[in-house]
Amino acid sequence: MEFYLIVLLVYLGTDLLAAWGLNLEFGVAGVANLAFILTIAAGAYAFVVFTLGPSAAAGNFQQYVGGFSMPFPVAVAAGGVAGAVVGVLIGITGLKRLRQDYQAVAMLVVSLMAATVVSADTPFLNGNAGLVVLPNYKPFGDQDPEVQRWLYVAIVGVVCVAGYYVLRKFTRGPIGRTLRAVRDDEFAAAAIGKNVVTSRLWVQAVGGAFGGLSGALLVAFIGGWSPGTWAYVETLALLTAVIVGGMGNDLGVSIGTFLIAILLLQGVQFLPQIPGHIGLKEDLGWIVLGVMTIAFIWLRPRGMVPERRPKYGGGS
Amino acid sequence: MSTEGRPILEVHDLVRHFGGVKAVDGVSFEVQRGTITGLIGPNGAGKSTALNVIGGFVPPGGGRIVFDGEDVTGWPMHRLARRGLVRTFQLARVFGGLTSIENLMVAAPEQRGETVLGVLAGAPYWGAQERDLLARSRDMMRSFGMEVKADEPARNLSGGQKRAVETMRALMTKPKLLLLDEPMAGLSPSLSRQLEDLFLQLAADGMTLLLVEHELDTVDRLCSKVIVMAQGKVLSEGKMSELRARKEVQDAYVIG
Repeated sequence: MEFYLIVLLVYLGTDLLAAWGLNLEFGVAGVANLAFILTIAAGAYAFVVFTLGPSAAAGNFQQYVGGFSMPFPVAVAAGGVAGAVVGVLIGITGLKRLRQDYQAVAMLVVSLMAATVVSADTPFLNGNAGLVVLPNYKPFGDQDPEVQRWLYVAIVGVVCVAGYYVLRKFTRGPIGRTLRAVRDDEFAAAAIGKNVVTSRLWVQAVGGAFGGLSGALLVAFIGGWSPGTWAYVETLALLTAVIVGGMGNDLGVSIGTFLIAILLLQGVQFLPQIPGHIGLKEDLGWIVLGVMTIAFIWLRPRGMVPERRPKYGGGS
Repeated sequence: MSTEGRPILEVHDLVRHFGGVKAVDGVSFEVQRGTITGLIGPNGAGKSTALNVIGGFVPPGGGRIVFDGEDVTGWPMHRLARRGLVRTFQLARVFGGLTSIENLMVAAPEQRGETVLGVLAGAPYWGAQERDLLARSRDMMRSFGMEVKADEPARNLSGGQKRAVETMRALMTKPKLLLLDEPMAGLSPSLSRQLEDLFLQLAADGMTLLLVEHELDTVDRLCSKVIVMAQGKVLSEGKMSELRARKEVQDAYVIG
């Protein structure tokens, strides 16, 4: 049970980082990045490739590019950088010319293509089988496994606190206001001199870095990453967390992440299997998620904790 | 070279076709500094398209646009805006999720809090500028009689209020040339008269305004020069009082 609590805490931390990144892109800056999972995947793969030694080493059972044998903090940072780079690349595919709804479709297609390419191209990142850092991965030396696990929860917690501090710098103040203006009407924003493409590419970089850190911290904990781990539906789960929690509201999105990613999608694991229908309860989780998305868009489009704007008063 | 003597805007043989429709078909005119120029004509004359091309919203199909002594043909909107050429839209566009006063504040150019350094350094770096900006925005809201709506999300405003917010927002950028597409549409008569006085004052202070307007009495009161467009071409130009007497202008309005 205690092990499961640790798992949930790590999931919560990594899901929060990802949801914050997606909220900055979608909720604050208006980029419906349906390829957000790619930034998480980039972070995860980068972490693995920076942690493992060269692929060609004797006895290696996996194929991949790179292999740098770096310590844990460097590999995590590499994950963040990889996420930022992939975020910008996703941005370039869609942001230059297309309208917002076409951008979303373009990004979804990019997401599906990337998964297909990585699955098919085994020498790149070991293809369909995925990459694992196990069995010999020990970032904290030879300590008691339980101490190690709690230590890991603490590390994720520290990254989350630091991440939230950085996030708030982008979502509040003049920059947060400008990004929301770009979200609400990109043409009107351009008409008052805002460079819409540049600001959105910045947002893609920052949001992507959050996704990358999330992926790196997750893969270090679960030990491996394969194309099956990053289907586009994972993006939809995060998107639902943003919509249900409250687009553009950091606190609301945090609550939404807890409800959707932890309570709902992990919670169904605790339900008994439905006799004769193995796997149905997991599917039910996704069904509830879809219904919730539709219900919120219809009935409460600004989410549980709607975006708040500063009140200045009309006074002198 | 001093650009003081030259017109602030020179449009040479501007063309914009949509498929087979020649919306703007070889339009040339000049706008002098510190004046209010009107662009009138029947529906479909190409006034809004001309404004859209000059303002960078729609790329030109041909011709040349010189603003403040510089060839700006084909520049994107944000670049023109930073140079001082700012436009409003025919259907008012506000930032619905921001409050009214934030709609004004966001428009100020060169905000320290928008830069990478500003984001990292935080409020100590941009706080003072932000307070000035708030004061300036409040003054502007008050001059439009909208201070009670300052904290209202802009999406909740009426059509006329949205238009007023859009005009104020454009003024917050401190433009050299302001392009206004039917700025009086949907405004109450009293606010509309107030706005006329404001436009005259802005022009007296050296700002240049080019406006598309249907209400010819307004045009008469405001504009020292009026350009009449019909079927994508400039039909005539001069003072409103002279234009009313001209046969081709009367014909265009009857036919158009």
